[in-house]
This record gives sequence, C-alpha cells and structure tokens, in this order.
Amino acid sequence: MYRYDEFDAAFVMGRTAQFADQVKRRLSGEMTEEQFRPLRLMNGLYLQLHAYMLRIAVPYGTLSGKQMRMFAHIARTYDRGYGHFTTRQNIQFNWPRLKDIPAILEELASVEMHAIQTSGNCIRNVTADHFAGAAADEIIDPRPIAEILRQWSSLHPEFSYLPRKFKIAVTGAPNDRAAIRFHDIGLQAATNAAGDIGWEVWVGGGLGRTPMIGKLINSYVPNEHLLAYLESIMRVYNRYGRRDNKYKARIKILVHEEGLETIKGQVEAEFAEVRGGVLTLPAEEVDRITAYFAPPAFKTQPATKIDVAYQSIIDPAYGRWLDHNINSHREPGYVSVTISLKPVGGAPGDATDKQMDDIADIAERYGFDELRVTHEQNLVLPHVAISDLRAVYEALVATGFADGNTGLITDMICCPGLDFCALANARSIPLAQEISRKFAEPKRQAEIGELKIKISGCINACGHHHVGHIGILGVEKKGGELYQITLGGDATEQAAVGKIIGPGFEAEHVPGAIETLVDTYIARRESADETFIQAYRRLGEAPFKEALYGNA
Amino acid sequence: MAMPKLAHTPAAQDKLRSLGILALNGMFDEMDAVGVLRYAVSDVLPGDLAIVSSFGADSAVLLHLVAQVDPSMPVYFLQTGKHFTETLDYVETLKKHLGLINVHAIHPSPDDVKRFDPTGNLWETDPDSCCHIRKTEPLEPITEQYGGWVTGRKRFQTRERGVLPHFELTSDDRIKVNPLAYFTDADVNQYKIDHGLPEHPLFGKGYKSIGCAPCTSVVAEGEDPRAGRWRGLNKKECGIHFDFNGAIASPMTAATKPTLWKDGGFIADPFHEWTEADEPATASYKHVPLPVFLANRDAFLVTQHPLGLLVVPGDNIEQVEADLGRFVSVAIKFPAFSDGRGYSTARLLSERYHYANEIRAIGDILQDQIPLMRRCGFNAFVVTHEPTREALIENRLPEVALFYQPVGTTEIPVGTRPFLRRVL
Repeated sequence: MYRYDEFDAAFVMGRTAQFADQVKRRLSGEMTEEQFRPLRLMNGLYLQLHAYMLRIAVPYGTLSGKQMRMFAHIARTYDRGYGHFTTRQNIQFNWPRLKDIPAILEELASVEMHAIQTSGNCIRNVTADHFAGAAADEIIDPRPIAEILRQWSSLHPEFSYLPRKFKIAVTGAPNDRAAIRFHDIGLQAATNAAGDIGWEVWVGGGLGRTPMIGKLINSYVPNEHLLAYLESIMRVYNRYGRRDNKYKARIKILVHEEGLETIKGQVEAEFAEVRGGVLTLPAEEVDRITAYFAPPAFKTQPATKIDVAYQSIIDPAYGRWLDHNINSHREPGYVSVTISLKPVGGAPGDATDKQMDDIADIAERYGFDELRVTHEQNLVLPHVAISDLRAVYEALVATGFADGNTGLITDMICCPGLDFCALANARSIPLAQEISRKFAEPKRQAEIGELKIKISGCINACGHHHVGHIGILGVEKKGGELYQITLGGDATEQAAVGKIIGPGFEAEHVPGAIETLVDTYIARRESADETFIQAYRRLGEAPFKEALYGNA
Repeated sequence: MAMPKLAHTPAAQDKLRSLGILALNGMFDEMDAVGVLRYAVSDVLPGDLAIVSSFGADSAVLLHLVAQVDPSMPVYFLQTGKHFTETLDYVETLKKHLGLINVHAIHPSPDDVKRFDPTGNLWETDPDSCCHIRKTEPLEPITEQYGGWVTGRKRFQTRERGVLPHFELTSDDRIKVNPLAYFTDADVNQYKIDHGLPEHPLFGKGYKSIGCAPCTSVVAEGEDPRAGRWRGLNKKECGIHFDFNGAIASPMTAATKPTLWKDGGFIADPFHEWTEADEPATASYKHVPLPVFLANRDAFLVTQHPLGLLVVPGDNIEQVEADLGRFVSVAIKFPAFSDGRGYSTARLLSERYHYANEIRAIGDILQDQIPLMRRCGFNAFVVTHEPTREALIENRLPEVALFYQPVGTTEIPVGTRPFLRRVL
C-alpha cells in the first residue's frame, strides 16, 4: 500500500488546517453558506436532507485494517454508529456535525486519509479495479498509476473549478470491473507493438441524466506522457465544457455535442504543446510508486484448490459463499474474497462500527492487512490463503456479512434515496430491502445466477441503474413515487445502457415485476449457464415486455 | 443651538441628522458667509473644524473670513509638489496679509510617489490616480482628526455643485461648512475689492481656477471658471470634494480604499474600465475587451498609451498571442467564482506565452481562490469582498503551501520526487 512520506503528511495536515479555518469562518457567520458551499464540497462535505454528510476518499478503493478501524471510530464517536460504502469506493457518514468536521479530518489525517475532492467540480477520487494487484487476469496493477493520478489531481489549481465534477477510473485487466466506460476518463491497460504497457484512454462516459458510453480517444498513451495527455484533456474540458447548464456540463456532453474528432483534435493540439514538458513521468517515479504496491509475502500454500461441490454438501451456505464470493488470484494457493455488504433486508453498503472493527480484525489476521471497497458497495479481502477460507468465513458469519450472494440478485447497488438524499425523488433502500426479502431463499438466488439489479432514487443515477441488467429508477409522478424499469444495462467491457421497458410501477408492485422478469428469463433461457444478460441480448425486450404488460 | 440629540436606531439617526442639517441650512441668509462660519466655529463644532485651502485664485476670500472669525483655525495646504511657484509665493503673501497663524503644508507619501509616479508624469496618463496619491491619500489622516471642514466651494462653479448648501453631512458623519456656497463670480470679485485682498499672481493672466500647474490652463472669457482644470479630461473634481450628503459618496469611498492588491499591498489602481465612449486613439490605462481590441487592432497598435486587455470567459487568448507585448496588464474576469476558465487563460499567458506583465483577476474572488490563482500566474487581484481584503492585509490566506503538481513559472521543486513543488 502507498505510505505517506513527510510531504504527503504535511500536505494533508495543511489542507485540514485550511478547512478547519473555513469551517470556523462559516460557523462565525463570516462566510455565507453560498460561499462556504464550494469549499466544503471540495472537502467532501455535503448538506443532505437531514444533516451534513461527510464523504471520505478511499483512494482507488484500497485501505488497511487500521484505516478501517478509524472509520469504525468515526462512526462511533461522531456519527450514529454506522457508515455507508459508496459506488465510488468511498465511505459516507450521514450524521456528522459541522463543528466536529475539523476533528474528524484530523483523525483521518493520522491514518493517512482525507476527504479532499470527494465532491465539488474537481477531479474526484480516482477509482480502480477492486481486485487490483490480485486478479489472475491482470496485465498490470492499476494502483501505482491511480496513486500518481491522485497526487497530480490533488488541489490542482487549474482544475478546481471545472464545469462539473470529473471522475477517472483505471483498470489493469481486460475484464473491466471498474466500469471505466462510464467515467469521464477511463484508463485501460494496453500493450503496444513493442510489448510496453501503456494506457487506452476512454473519454466522455457517464451515467446521470444522460447516460453515455465512453469513447476511445487514444488507443495507447505510454506512462511517460500520461499526465501530459490527461492535463490536455482537462484543459480542453475546462475551457470549452458547457457552463450554462449544470445538466449539460459534464465532458460527456462536450464530446457528444462537439464530436469525438473535434475534441480529439483540440486535445492533440494541446498535447503537442505540453508533451515532453514538465509533466513527463520518469520511469523511476513509476517504479518508486509501484514499489509501495509490491505483492505481500505470499507463502507456498498446502491447499491450492477449493472443492466447492464437496463443501456445498457438508455446509450449503459455505458452499454458496465459496461459489459466489471467491475470485481467482494470480498467486497459487490464494484467492480474493468478497465481503458482501448486502445481507437480506439490509441497507446495501452500510456497515456498523462493530462490523468495521471485525472486518479490520479479519484483514489483519488473514488478509495481509489489506481491504478494498468495490464500486458495487462491497468489501474485498484481496489476498486470502485458501487454507484460511473456512476461518475467514466463520469470522464473517459472526459479523453478519457472510452472505454468498456476490453477483446474484440480492447483491444490489442502491443509492441512499429519499431517506437521506436531498436530490432524490423516491426511496431506494426500502425497495432494495423488499426485493432482497422476496429473493431471500439462497437456492432460488443460485438458480437465477448472475443478475445485477441497480436502483437509483432519482435521475442523477447514483445507483447506476442505467448499467443494471435490471435497472430501477425512482421518479416522482403525480405526487407519488413511481419506479421505471430498464433492462440490458452492462457496466463491463461489454458496456451498454439499459432501455426503459415500459410504464413505471408503484413501489409495492416493483418486487413482483422483478419476479415476473426473472421467471420469464428462467423459462426462456437455453440452459442454466446462460445468464440473464445473455438471455436478454439473445431474446430482446419483447418477451419481458409481454410478461410485464401483456400483449396489448 | 446645538445639533439635535440623536436617537439610537440607525434609521432614526439618519433622519435626525439630515433634519438637523436641514435646520442649520435654514438659519442663515444666503450671503451671510461670516454668520455661517462663526456659528460653525462657536456652536456646531467648536475646536473641531479645519480648512483645506488650495491658495488658488479665490482662496483669499474664504481665508479672509477665517481670519475674522478665528485666525488660529488650522489651515491645510496640499503641497502636491506640482504647484506653480506663484502659488507657493501666494501662500506666504496671504499668511502675512491675513495674520493666519496655523497654516500647515501636507505632502504626499514619498513611497507612493516613487511607486506610482516615478517619472512625475502620472498626471498625464492618469490624473485621477495623480490626484489620489497627491491629494486624497495625504489628506485622509488629517480629515480623520476633525469633526468638520470649511470649504470654499460655490454653487456657480460647476454643475455638480449647483445644489451646494451651507452645511453638508458626509457619509462618515462629518460636517462640511460651505460659507461661500451662494457666492457668484461677481460676488467673489466684489468681496476681494471691498476688502483689498491680494490677487493670486496668475489671476491676471487668465487663470480663474488654479490647482496644480500641469492640470490648470487659462480659461477663456465666458467659460466655466473651472473649465481650465483637467482640460480635455472627463474630470471635474479632484476627489477630495466628493460626498455631497452621500450623493457622490461612492467615488470618495472607492478613492480612499484602493482595491488593487499587488506586490503585497493594496494600491491605487491606475486602470479604468473600458466604456463605450472610449476611443482606440486616445484610450489610456484602460482594459480593452478582447473583441474590441481585435476589431480595432491597428488603431490600438499605433498608439503609445499604456493599455490593458480584458479577457472574459469564452475569449480565446490565442487570438492576441502576437500582440501581448502591447499590454501592460491583462485583466481576467471571473463573473462567478465557480467559473474556472480564467485559470487556464492565466496559465497559457504566463507559461506558454511567457507574458511577464501584470495578470490581474477581477470579479467574484474569494480569499480561498487567491492561492490557486497565484499558482496559475495571477500577480494582481482587484478585491472588494471585505473579509478577503482583511485576509490579504493580515496575510492569512488559507493556503496549502505544498503542491503535488508542477504549475506556473515560480514554484520550486521540493524533495526528490519529480512533481512536488512549493511556493518560491
């Protein structure tokens, strides 16, 4: 993991002191809420429906046990005993008091964490594949470049007042687990003809009101020029991105309206000016940062295989967990374990202080003290010895996070919705809870197989409904809450935006509608190996539409 | 009669104050200059009244009144350093002739003169700023010492003074006493003759209103007597007389509070906004909007006057790359603090085009943005937001002084990592 040196520590302390002063000025009334707003946002502080909400960055989703314990401590001391892990690999606390924020930030700084740029119209926390450094299919660990981007973008003076927020995601594997095509900039590791590893650059993807799939603006940028190239994109966006309408201000709209070729021309012209300049990234610097992410001291393991079938007979719940929550590792004898924060009936992504402490224990004991936050609102133990799996499972059972449902119908992404969020039109957590109760039966879930349901409480799409195999969008219609259902979305390298299937449903009818869709899929699939999304692609929307609305 | 007692609520206070002034203004016959002055000295502001005199063409009349009422009243003379020698001689003549025993010369700050007018030609390029450093600034600490002032202004002098009363209340709660408010040109001359007052040596040569030598010219027969002051310029007052019951108060406020922060201090701003009335041939110390410059490029390039450029969001600085040498200042406008386009403009100017003159930020600027702006190449800020002014003056900008990315031309590397920087 990255470790702060004196400079990093001094930087975060400086920023903390700066924001403490700004909070003081706000509390004293010297600053109006309007003036305070952009400043607090750049420090991750939102004004929500009921209170301030503090969003803390987990850079590229990687954290240590100690850092997880700090979240537990903050939840216990300053909040209501829980935190909420987000789709951007961050954690949110929903009930802090403004006067406590400087103290919270100071405590975070003591474990090398901060809330810088987790909101505001700036470059946000850079996200990455949650199996980075562990996945068997990885070309390169994306975290060193993500860390370099984190540093370059931190309090960048030119790009602190962009037209709108700006999100960058990085993946080092061909199987995209970081949804890079739905980010303002997505980076995918690529190999050139000489065999050197560089980056495919995708630009202009995004969800929100106007979902767009990112477009390939450059198929190979070497490490050396990556910062110069990204600064060129940022400058073009900062200068020409729309500022007249906040709903049209993201770079996806600029790329869409101007056309990829125009933007590409502007970026290339800018790049020609800055290429080879001060932002040239020396190989030694990449090596130096990469050293922080060196693999842990793996040992030769007695067990290198898991007999899921056998375990399923002895302990079906454990068998399901092995079946769904384990990801193959590049190191023999090791796996990555997904800790599902989606217990049946729970609020997706929430964890209590006790649970966070317990997970920190598990990471320290069995997982080389490393944890990840996933963009699907789960946690990951990236490096677990196969021989420790049973012990890890039992420890997770004790925390209440041992559901073997990763990737299944109850592993939903869900935004905070009307219960917390000032923007929301509809509740989303209660709906997710209803759906998960309806499909609580583990055998049923296993029978349905991989199915991603994503729920947003408004068109801002924080719950990523556009890229759900089944997406649910809460809207306000005639004073009541209504839910639109979309089908066919996909956040991976087979990126697709879901299509609205028909008229919306009232909340109490949504779980039934989902069941109808699932039954239709099971009835029509070619075999149990054909997933929902595959069947949908083959069949089209017609049979699903007919099942939901009849033949009329 | 003393001033009416004031109530404590601000609104009531304002009302009472103006009523009190109204009452005072109704007490005297229009021509009773001595009565006005005597009452001011004895009842309104005893011991708290002074006079600033230019020792110009008409000054003898008012000074004669002062000598009758109280020859020990403090008389201040603005020794701007730009007076005719005849004026300096006239000071001595009048002192002796009238028996004034409390005359003081006020000098501009040598630092201000060195900084803003090193060549002594500021009057030519920017008379407002010249008046500001030579009159308004030096006078400010003196005016603060007194509750009121006696002036020699007269209604007939210019249109702006047409409604001048005997007593005025300024916006900072001081009283201006204008004993000669109703005097006409003829009244003044008659008074001089009646009392055998010595003439200013230049009066006989056609100078009717005499100020600093460079900005005073001869007035033709029938012309407004002050027409010879700042001839050819859209300027009527030197700044120290503004604030008629607050009616022209804002220029005074603006003039006394410089808003341009540069080189570690607030200084008088020699620049002005471009207006529709401006002409390319004569424009001087104006920030010319980029499209206006482009449309009149040739006309602007042939003149020698100091010029600035105004860049608003959406302007492309690339279009004037070749002409940047023409500008001593580029003003980059931030119509809203959330509009960050100006940061890119400033970086292009300083880093790509190596523009080394003033790059100033104007508009909606908060103290929290100034450190970012500095990094992008801004070296001057026009600031009106009061807390931001204070923060600048007290040097407590909320700044993280360590940087993760190389930006700008002045930051220096720190440590061994390639991109770390700190402030020079």
